[in-house]
Amino acid sequence: MGELITEAISIGWPAFAFLTGLLVYCQVRITDPVQRKNALFKTGIGMLCVFLAFIAIANYKNNFYGESRLLPVSLVMITCLTYIMGIYFTNIGALMKIGGAMFFVAAALSGYGNWLPQVEGGFPPPEVKLDFQSMTQQQLADEGEKIIFGGLGQSKVQGAIGKGQCPLCHGFNQGFLSERAPNLWGIPDRSHERLKHELYYMDNPTARPTVQKEAFDGSGTATNGQEYIAESHACPSCFVVPGFGVKGTNDTESPMPRIHKPPISLTLGELAAVDTWLYVRQGMEAPTYDEIEVSYEKFVPEADRPQASEGDDAAAGGVLATGEEPITDLFMKAGCPACHTIPGIEGATGKVGPLLLEGSNAPQRLKDPAYKGHAQSTREYITESILNPSMYVVQDFPDNQMPKDFGQKLSAGAVNKIVDYLSSLKQGQELPALEAFN
Amino acid sequence: MGRLMSRQTRKNILAVSGLFAMGAMLVLPILTALPALAAGGASATGGPPPDVVMAQEAEGEGEAEPVEVGRDVYYKTEGPVVGMPAPKTEDTEAFYPRYNFESRVLLWVANQQHLYYGSFVLAVPIFCMCIEFAGLITKDKAMAKKYDQLAYDFIKISLTAYSLTAILGGILIFTFLTLYPAFFGYLSSIFRPVMHIYALMFVAESGTLYIYYYGWDKMKEGMLKWLHASMSVVLNVIGTVLMFLANSWIGFMMSPAGVDEQGRYLGNIWHVIHTALWNPLNVHRILGNMAFGGGVVAAYAAYRFLSAKNDEERAHYDWMGYIAMALGVAFLIPLPFAGYWLMREVYAYRQQMGITLMGGLLAWLFIIQATMIGILFLTTNYYLWQALGRMTGGERFQRYIKYFVFILVVGLLVFITPHTIVMTPAELKAMGGQQHPVLGNYGVMSAKNGGINAIIMTTIASFIWYQRGNRVPAVKWAKFGNIFLITFFVVAHLNNIWVACYGYFIPANVRIGLSIPQVAGTLSCLFIGSALNLAMLRQSRELGPIRWGQIAPRSQYALIMLATAFTWMMGLMGYIRSSVRLFWHVNEIMRDNSPWAYTHTIGFGANVISFNVLFFWITILFVFWLGALGAKKAPVPAMQPVPGGAPQPATSHY
Repeated sequence: MGELITEAISIGWPAFAFLTGLLVYCQVRITDPVQRKNALFKTGIGMLCVFLAFIAIANYKNNFYGESRLLPVSLVMITCLTYIMGIYFTNIGALMKIGGAMFFVAAALSGYGNWLPQVEGGFPPPEVKLDFQSMTQQQLADEGEKIIFGGLGQSKVQGAIGKGQCPLCHGFNQGFLSERAPNLWGIPDRSHERLKHELYYMDNPTARPTVQKEAFDGSGTATNGQEYIAESHACPSCFVVPGFGVKGTNDTESPMPRIHKPPISLTLGELAAVDTWLYVRQGMEAPTYDEIEVSYEKFVPEADRPQASEGDDAAAGGVLATGEEPITDLFMKAGCPACHTIPGIEGATGKVGPLLLEGSNAPQRLKDPAYKGHAQSTREYITESILNPSMYVVQDFPDNQMPKDFGQKLSAGAVNKIVDYLSSLKQGQELPALEAFN
Repeated sequence: MGRLMSRQTRKNILAVSGLFAMGAMLVLPILTALPALAAGGASATGGPPPDVVMAQEAEGEGEAEPVEVGRDVYYKTEGPVVGMPAPKTEDTEAFYPRYNFESRVLLWVANQQHLYYGSFVLAVPIFCMCIEFAGLITKDKAMAKKYDQLAYDFIKISLTAYSLTAILGGILIFTFLTLYPAFFGYLSSIFRPVMHIYALMFVAESGTLYIYYYGWDKMKEGMLKWLHASMSVVLNVIGTVLMFLANSWIGFMMSPAGVDEQGRYLGNIWHVIHTALWNPLNVHRILGNMAFGGGVVAAYAAYRFLSAKNDEERAHYDWMGYIAMALGVAFLIPLPFAGYWLMREVYAYRQQMGITLMGGLLAWLFIIQATMIGILFLTTNYYLWQALGRMTGGERFQRYIKYFVFILVVGLLVFITPHTIVMTPAELKAMGGQQHPVLGNYGVMSAKNGGINAIIMTTIASFIWYQRGNRVPAVKWAKFGNIFLITFFVVAHLNNIWVACYGYFIPANVRIGLSIPQVAGTLSCLFIGSALNLAMLRQSRELGPIRWGQIAPRSQYALIMLATAFTWMMGLMGYIRSSVRLFWHVNEIMRDNSPWAYTHTIGFGANVISFNVLFFWITILFVFWLGALGAKKAPVPAMQPVPGGAPQPATSHY
């Protein structure tokens, strides 16, 4: 509160000075004692209201990016001051009371918005270039799971979603309700049956009732199960499972976007990973990477194939950050702010992972009986958390959410720099100067 | 005398000719420009534009380079590539110059302020047109004068706001140019001709508005008055076209068309304008503007009522507030249906976009919206119940209000119950699934529709009460009419509740269709109920006059609440509409690579919306104050006796 008052005075001192001058002027110039008393009272009310107004402004300023839940308090304060003004300054009473009512409505609605669970959209997924071709089948399936669900082990978590956005519409587990699009449990087997469906018209695409007959002119239809999966991704409207078409089109058009086109834009490598996961998670042997790639090449013309990003080749052997960057850039490059709130780092307000006040948190975690790691000090604990996040999972936060490959993506210098900064953050202490870490 | 008449006739003919000439001059540039623009400034056969053709011809016959052909991302037609690809931006000062503050919030504020004022100045002339025509066709001279005065009061408020709209438009463009130059450069390269037409239309709108306002007194009698009223039609046509053009930009950003996958313009300006979401946006916005305009004028009337110095002023502004509120609510009622259409088109365009809105990242914002819709209807009902207090006979209905409150509150609680909500993994874990163990069973769409339809039907019933406040139907079939009316409403409510419950027993994709019988019941109540009531009141016994001005001051705070809530909801829905593009400037065409390409939390969004709402109201209160300062025309006393006419207060209900 003391900080708030100091801030309010530092912002509003010219207004206070003006009102003090007015107060003195009225006391000197007005001779009638009743009028002088009245002027003293009204100026006092004015000063109180101005003080409230600047407290409200200071609260807004201090909490704009941080504790935004406190901002409606400012609006309540202004509501109070306008009503006070409305009572004592009758010539502008109507205006003040109306203003007060409006501030009250805005405060209530803002408060409501802040009271609801806070969800932040997060940054768009980084475009990471992976070398899918040289991966083992399990690695490829793991990448596929990440693309579909956003992380390893997420396939049974409701609401988990990755770059592919598939779970928005498709169910993936046996018996799960899947009203918007077919449930994909068992698709490797079912794909063969689909080819025999009366509306599929294998090798006779012109007979199809759908709005799009072929993925592109001359592409033909699928002739085996994998090709069916590839065709479904590349040309969802070439065959629509009955009951899942765009409403009113009589199942001649699919609501699904073409997967290799924006906004999803999966590369052929990523699609191979997704398909591999569909087989592997059911204990089946998936076609090889090359076989899957060939199946997609049949339905995605070369000009339409999205390319992996050239700018960021971390997964291809490069690193996300070298440690030579300023600390803010380093955090941004590593992507930490997407999930964590990191005091002192602008824009680091993620809520998926815990608040990183590690100077205070780490010693407590090391004492936690549930801690089974090997760290002995704060620095070791932070390093361990970065390189092996599952070693200790903070209560109420899910495991397997944080990538486990920061050891490969960050240089030793970068990890050290992050550890230096995080270990200097302590509860109740001033934030360290960023320049010291640049 | 005959000579005088002929001079008057000549003047009238001259004035009519002048108006037609003005209209023709306004429409001419559009008529001449559109055919060429529809073909992208190219020949009617869809070839390259003339400059390209000339360049090709200059290179020699038969040696012209083949024109590259692109495929429209939406219409799937082919056209010559005549534009540059959408820029691929990076997070650098060159693409995103910035102050030490979030550029997106600055743009958000500039945009919202311009939109608030733009909506207001486009909505008010529509009200003026309706009210002026109502004054013209009424046979009651006193009422005609009152209507005329009211229309004049309305346009006077909008005139001061008009210059502010233009100033804010300038600020918006400067904000775009200085903070998002790459994006704005791309957008203006696509919409170059539309932007020029927009500017010309703005000039035409200004000219017509000034003639309309300043010619009010000069054109108050006979043929000239009709001419003046016709000018309001011209004014509104221009205003509506202006809004449609501006909507085409946001429509393009959400659901681009007329460009290929790289964002290259394919020469057909109509495709660029007429995107998948353009028409639903147009309808939704025009209704929204009207509801918003009604709210703002009602707030103005409330302000004048609360600061009135005498009974006459109070009576006039009480009446003005009532009319503005009634107009606003009249457009609020179809607004949810227009919203459903927009959402349906969003789903048809991109299902993921629809899911992000209604069941994903932005779903909580729709819970806020649902709450606000409920609040708006509750407040409207509250105002109408308060207004019964100024009528002799209104007390007959007081004892039933508690039952209406019960229906409204239950309807609201059902309406805001969520079914599926987006959560963090920790929240999911805590709740044990994506649906709440208790609430998730209840918040299905048919039940929620049941909630809002019950609220709307109750509001219609309140309005019918209000119309009957001081009157008792005296038609021969009054008893039958009353029984029919009550039965109609009871059956509609029972149908609504039954359908709401039935929805629990059928699959979700079938359940969607249940909204049709629910909406049909509500609309039947609205049209048949209101029409029947009016027919019954054609012959009625009056229990006493309406005592305009003798309404409790708290009713005026209900109007303020309505106005502020309208404004807030408009800000909220604009935020939702814009956020749904996520990290795209132009959906799937031009990616947003700025540091602000993420979606803020609901709380942050709510705080910025509140800031926008309050900033708008602080400035518009200043406009109101200016309007009061410049008041020259004394309001016509609302209680003025009407010689030989129908009872005046009752007539004003229709």
